[in-house]
Amino acid sequence: MIAPAASVLVPLPVALPLLAGAALLLVGKFLPGRIPDAIAVLTAILVVAIDARLAAQSLQGPLVYWMGGWQPTGGVTLGIAFVVDEAEAILGAFMALLFAASFVFAWGYFEDIRAFFHVLMLIFLAAMQGFCFTHDLFNLFVWFEVMSVTAFALTAYRLEADPLEGALNFTVTNTIGSFLILGGVALAYSLTSVLDFGALARSLAQHAQDPVAVAAFCMLAIGLLIKGAAMPFHFWLADAHAVAPSPVSVIFSGAMVPLALFGLGKIYWDVFAPVPAVQLLMRTLVLALGMTTAVIGGLACLRQRHLKRLLAFSTVSHGGILLIGLSLPGAVSLGGVLAYFVGHGLVKGSLFMIAGILLARAGGIDELWLRGRGRPLWPAGIAMAVAAVLLGGAPIGLMDSGSRLIGTAAAARGEDWVLIAMVLGAACTGGAVLRGAGRIFLGLGAVAGEEARGPSDEESEKADRPLWLMMLPVTVLLIVALGAGVAHVDEAVLGAAQRFLSWDGPSSIAPVSVPPAVAAPGTTHSFVPWATIALALLIAAHDLGRAWLPGSWRRVSDRVLSGPVFGAIDRAHDGVIGDYVVWMLIGLALFSVSSAAALHAG
Amino acid sequence: MSYLPWAIAAWLFGVGVYGVITSRHYVHLIGCLTVIQSATYVALLSIGYRFGSVAPIFYSRPTSTPAVDPVLQALVLTDIVVGATVTALLLALTLQVHKKRGTVNPERLRPFRQ
Repeated sequence: MIAPAASVLVPLPVALPLLAGAALLLVGKFLPGRIPDAIAVLTAILVVAIDARLAAQSLQGPLVYWMGGWQPTGGVTLGIAFVVDEAEAILGAFMALLFAASFVFAWGYFEDIRAFFHVLMLIFLAAMQGFCFTHDLFNLFVWFEVMSVTAFALTAYRLEADPLEGALNFTVTNTIGSFLILGGVALAYSLTSVLDFGALARSLAQHAQDPVAVAAFCMLAIGLLIKGAAMPFHFWLADAHAVAPSPVSVIFSGAMVPLALFGLGKIYWDVFAPVPAVQLLMRTLVLALGMTTAVIGGLACLRQRHLKRLLAFSTVSHGGILLIGLSLPGAVSLGGVLAYFVGHGLVKGSLFMIAGILLARAGGIDELWLRGRGRPLWPAGIAMAVAAVLLGGAPIGLMDSGSRLIGTAAAARGEDWVLIAMVLGAACTGGAVLRGAGRIFLGLGAVAGEEARGPSDEESEKADRPLWLMMLPVTVLLIVALGAGVAHVDEAVLGAAQRFLSWDGPSSIAPVSVPPAVAAPGTTHSFVPWATIALALLIAAHDLGRAWLPGSWRRVSDRVLSGPVFGAIDRAHDGVIGDYVVWMLIGLALFSVSSAAALHAG
Repeated sequence: MSYLPWAIAAWLFGVGVYGVITSRHYVHLIGCLTVIQSATYVALLSIGYRFGSVAPIFYSRPTSTPAVDPVLQALVLTDIVVGATVTALLLALTLQVHKKRGTVNPERLRPFRQ
C-alpha cells in the first residue's frame, strides 16, 4: 500500500499564473514594450517545468495536497484537495506548453491595449490547471466558471460585430451549462453530504440504485458536454472559435474543449463509476453521442470556406473521437484518450496559428479568396500539409497512437463498428484541411464545390510580426506532435492511464496499491490508419480537381450535397441562440429518457 | 425533506429556459438566465435547510446547537458572485453589440450571416 505523498509544488501551477496575472494587471500600464509578453511566456514555461516535475514525483504514488491543511479527520472530509497523478500532470504540462507557444505566437500583437490580453490568458491558464487537479466537485465548478468567464471575454476581445455575436452565443449556452453543473453538484450533495471525489464515490457505492445519483451525473455530464461541444450541444463552438483572435482559438480548440471532455471522464471514473445505471449510460448514450459528433463534425467541416470555422468543426469531430475513447472502459482506451488529447491539441494549435499567419500576412481567412495567395508564405503551407496529414489519421505521431489504442480497445470488446465513425471523422477533417492547403498554397481548386455556400467574413489581423517568429511555435508543436522526444508513447500512456484508474479517485481518503502493469496490446486492424489517410487524400483530390471531373458526376454530387440530408447540417447551424437552446433541451430529453431506461435495465 | 423546493427549482429552470428560447431582446434574455440561476439558489438552500435550526453562527451560543448546513450557504454565496460576473459581462457585450449592429434582437444577431 502507498500512502499518498504531499508536495508543496501541487498548488503552484494554479497560484503562479494567478499571481503573475494580478501583478500584470497592477503594473502592466507602466511596463514598457514587450515586458508583459516576456513575463507571460516565462510564467507558462515555469508551469510546464513544475508540471513535469509533478509527473516525475507522481510515479511513486499520487500527490495529495489539502488546501489550508484541512485534512479529513474522524471520517469527515470538509477540506478541498488537489490530487495529481501522472496523467493529470502530463495534461497540465501540455496545456501550459500550448499557452507558452500561443504567447510567443502573439508576441507584441496585443501591446496597444495594455496587458489585458496577458492577464486574461494567465487567469485562463490557472483555471485550466485547477480544473485538471481538483478533487472536489464544487471546486471543479468554480474552476469551470473561471475558465468560462475568461474565455467569454477573450472571444469578444476585438469588440467587433461578429466576435461580439459569437461571444454572446458562447456565453449564453455555456452559462446554462454551468447552472446544470451546479444543479448536479446540489443533487450529489443532497444524497451524500460530501464534495470530495473519494468520499463521494464511497458514499455513492451505498446509493448505487438511487435515481438521484443518475440525475446528478446527467446534469454534470450535460454541463461538461456543452463545454466539450458534443452533439447536440456543440452549436456555440463554430461561432466562438471562428471569431476569437487566433492565439486564443489555439487554446480553445487545443486545450479547453478536450479538457471539458476529460473532466467528464474524471467525474465518471473518480465518482460515479460504482453506479450501474451510469456505467450503462457511458457505454451506450455517450458512445452514440461520440460517434454522431465525430461524423457530423467531419461532414460540416467539409462544407466550410472560413478557415477558422472549418478548423472549429474539425475540433467538434475530434472531440467526438475523444468521447468514444472515454466511453470505453479500461486502461487501453484511457491511454488512447491521453495520447489523442495531447496529439490533437498540438496539431490543432499549430493549424490555428497557420490561420493566424494567413490573417496577418495574406490579409484574409476565406479559403476561396485566398486561392494561390499563400505562395509567398510557403513554409506555412508545408506545415499545414503536415498537420493535415496528421489530422487525417496518418500512421505516425501522438494522434495515431491515441486513435490506434482507442480502436484496439473497441475491437477487444467486439465493437469494431466504432472504427467507422473514427475513420470518417478523421478522413473528412484531414481532407478538408488538405483541400485548404492545396487551394491556398498551390492555387489548385479553381472550381469550388459545396464549400462556396458556407458562411464567410472579411477579416485580418495586424501584420507586425516576422514570419519566422510566427512559424517558430508552429514548428515546435508539430515536431512534438510527430512524436519526437517521446519514446514508447504507448507504454507511457498505458502506465499513466492504469495508475489514474486505480489511484485518482480514492487517494484522498485511503491508501492505494500499485496497479499491475498492462502490456501494450497488439494492434488489430493495422490497415485502418492507411485507409483513413487514403480517404482523406481522395476527398481533398476530389474537391480540388472538380474542374477535371465529368460534368454529369459533378451535377449528381452537387445535388446530393446540397440536398435535404446534407443541407440540414447548414440549416441547423444558423447562429440563432434560441435554436441552440432548443437543441440543448433535445439533448436533455435524450439523457432523461436514456437514464430512465438505464435505471429500468439495471 | 419536502419536494416543494425541488418543484419550484424545476419550474424556475423551465420558465427561464422558455424565456431564453423565445426572447426578442438581449437584456430580457439575460434576465431569463438569472431566473434559471435562481433555480440553483432554491435547490442549494433547500438541501442545506434544517427545520428548527439556527443560522450557522456560533458566536453567542454553544457549538452543539443544531444549525443549517454552512457548506451549502458557502456554495450559494459563490454562485451569486459567479452569476454577477457573468451578468455584468453579458450586459457589457450587449451594449457593445448594440453600438455595432444597432439591434439587440437575438434573432437578428447571427455571426457571419450579415
